[in-house]
Amino acid sequence: MNSTHPDILALITTLKMAGITTIILMLIGTPLAWFLAKMKSRGKVFIEALVALPLVLPPTVLGFYLLLLFSPQYLPGQIWQETTGQQLAFSFSAIVIGSVLYSLPFVVQPLQKAFEQLGDDLLEAAAMLGASAFDRFFTIVLPITKASFITAASLGFAHTVGEFGVVLMIGGNIPGETRVLSIALFDHVEAFDYAQAHIISISLVVSSLVLLSLIYLLNRPNKSRPTKKNQTKSKRLS
Amino acid sequence: MADLSINVRVEHDDFHLSINEKISLTGITGVFGHSGSGKSTLLKVIAGLEKHAQGKLVINDLLESDILLDSEAKIFIASQQRNIGLVFQNSRLFPHLSVEENLRYGQKRKKNIERNKPLDFTEIVALTKLDNLLSKSVAQLSGGEQQRVALARALLAEPRLLLLDEPLSALDDKNKSLMLTLLAKVQKQLNLPMLYVSHSLAEIQQLANNLLVLSSGKVTHYGDIHQVIHQLTTNNEILHQTSLSLTVKEHLAEYGLTSLALGDQQILMSLNQQIESDANTNTNVRCIIAASDISVTLHEPSESSIVNHLQGTITSFEPCQSQVLLTVNCSGQDFFVNITAWSAQRLSLIVDQKVFIQFKANSVRTLR
Repeated sequence: MNSTHPDILALITTLKMAGITTIILMLIGTPLAWFLAKMKSRGKVFIEALVALPLVLPPTVLGFYLLLLFSPQYLPGQIWQETTGQQLAFSFSAIVIGSVLYSLPFVVQPLQKAFEQLGDDLLEAAAMLGASAFDRFFTIVLPITKASFITAASLGFAHTVGEFGVVLMIGGNIPGETRVLSIALFDHVEAFDYAQAHIISISLVVSSLVLLSLIYLLNRPNKSRPTKKNQTKSKRLS
Repeated sequence: MADLSINVRVEHDDFHLSINEKISLTGITGVFGHSGSGKSTLLKVIAGLEKHAQGKLVINDLLESDILLDSEAKIFIASQQRNIGLVFQNSRLFPHLSVEENLRYGQKRKKNIERNKPLDFTEIVALTKLDNLLSKSVAQLSGGEQQRVALARALLAEPRLLLLDEPLSALDDKNKSLMLTLLAKVQKQLNLPMLYVSHSLAEIQQLANNLLVLSSGKVTHYGDIHQVIHQLTTNNEILHQTSLSLTVKEHLAEYGLTSLALGDQQILMSLNQQIESDANTNTNVRCIIAASDISVTLHEPSESSIVNHLQGTITSFEPCQSQVLLTVNCSGQDFFVNITAWSAQRLSLIVDQKVFIQFKANSVRTLR
């Protein structure tokens, strides 16, 4: 590990954090988005606001509260330490948990919107043809909202790569554990090593641009499909 | 004989449905009512798509009773386990699948594998005339084609009961008539019980053997189609009309007429290609004659362009505002006749009087 360049190590840590975070986000975000899309009670607004909170809150606020919760003085940190034998604050697990909360709206919102647009019509039709809820999800929901799943995962991943405040507060700056690219960049700037800072910055700009272009490219053909269907529908009704 | 015993309540803020009825599951049962009468809600309850239904819903077969809903015993069978098909008003085809994949969706998941011999895919495709559309995407289909795919898709899942919720309402007249013919043919060939919901009595009259009438969430009539329409007419609940089921005697192609048998008399109607193409005589034709299209004379008119004149006896005389609703029995069939009170007085019509009723061939209406 010592032979690796510290910035390469930071890159590997970043990709590992973003990758694991994205997987967890998809597993948590999908049912949460489904629940919100189907929910009709007034409590829905509150949960939606809670999910959207990281969009407006300074990341350092979230990081501050998480730092407190993760420390052994508080119950969550205590339970973690008792079950794993390690401290939660300033660990890789801590920055993954922080990232999951911080990037949650980027995954939940596109999925929720897609599920709302899909509606109940096709799902009812599938149920009447004998498909169970699980079956309906994989044969109707997933293929039709595929583009939104790709968007959600990509946005969640990209946003996690770009985060700084939360990681700094709860992860610190431990090479190979919590030192991610954005923090490495901050270190280089503080040390006036602008050449190295440029390398990290430019590669983040280029890779983010490529990723976002891919998302928009993937979304294009699928976005035109529902409109085409609506056109034929309105033609038929008129 | 299979039947569906319904004893359910649905309570929403602004709407109550309360039904206690046993429906015979033979042929096609029409469910008629105005919008807001609860007919679609009833269909949803049977389909299992209405989660707030209370009460009991049981399908009784020759051998067994199958409980679909029993809120007291906390039994609620999910839609996908009821083995009931539903054709919606909007066809609800899956946009990411081709026509053939849509058709196979239900077939792959069918429940009654052990019960019957399986339906032949190509047979259903041929019946619904979808042979040339199998590889197409759903977005390329016309409205009529979409509804045919929806029907075939429901049939291939081999349900024990098929529900149809206003399946023709989005179609134009030509496609409506094609679809009606198709539904009648499907029902005959597959012997599949159907529940047909519509706000159009004319549509139901074309297909159904039995009619259930709903109003404000309650059943007001249930019985044989012609009898219920007869009742609705005498109760002034619908436009006065005579609903008939008659056998084709012969087609008079050169005159553009079809002759229908009524006892020893005959009724002439405009020749209809759908009915003519059924080829075999002995075909049954469902038709409606509006009471306002029939007039009464005391003597048989010999010099009239009106082709239909039937001899009959007045069996009932009901003044109704400035009009009179007469019931005239001709060869055992009751005809409703609307005439003005003035004419009734001028001809001094009374019950048990022998009269002739007359109407044009064009006033014998059928949707096909």
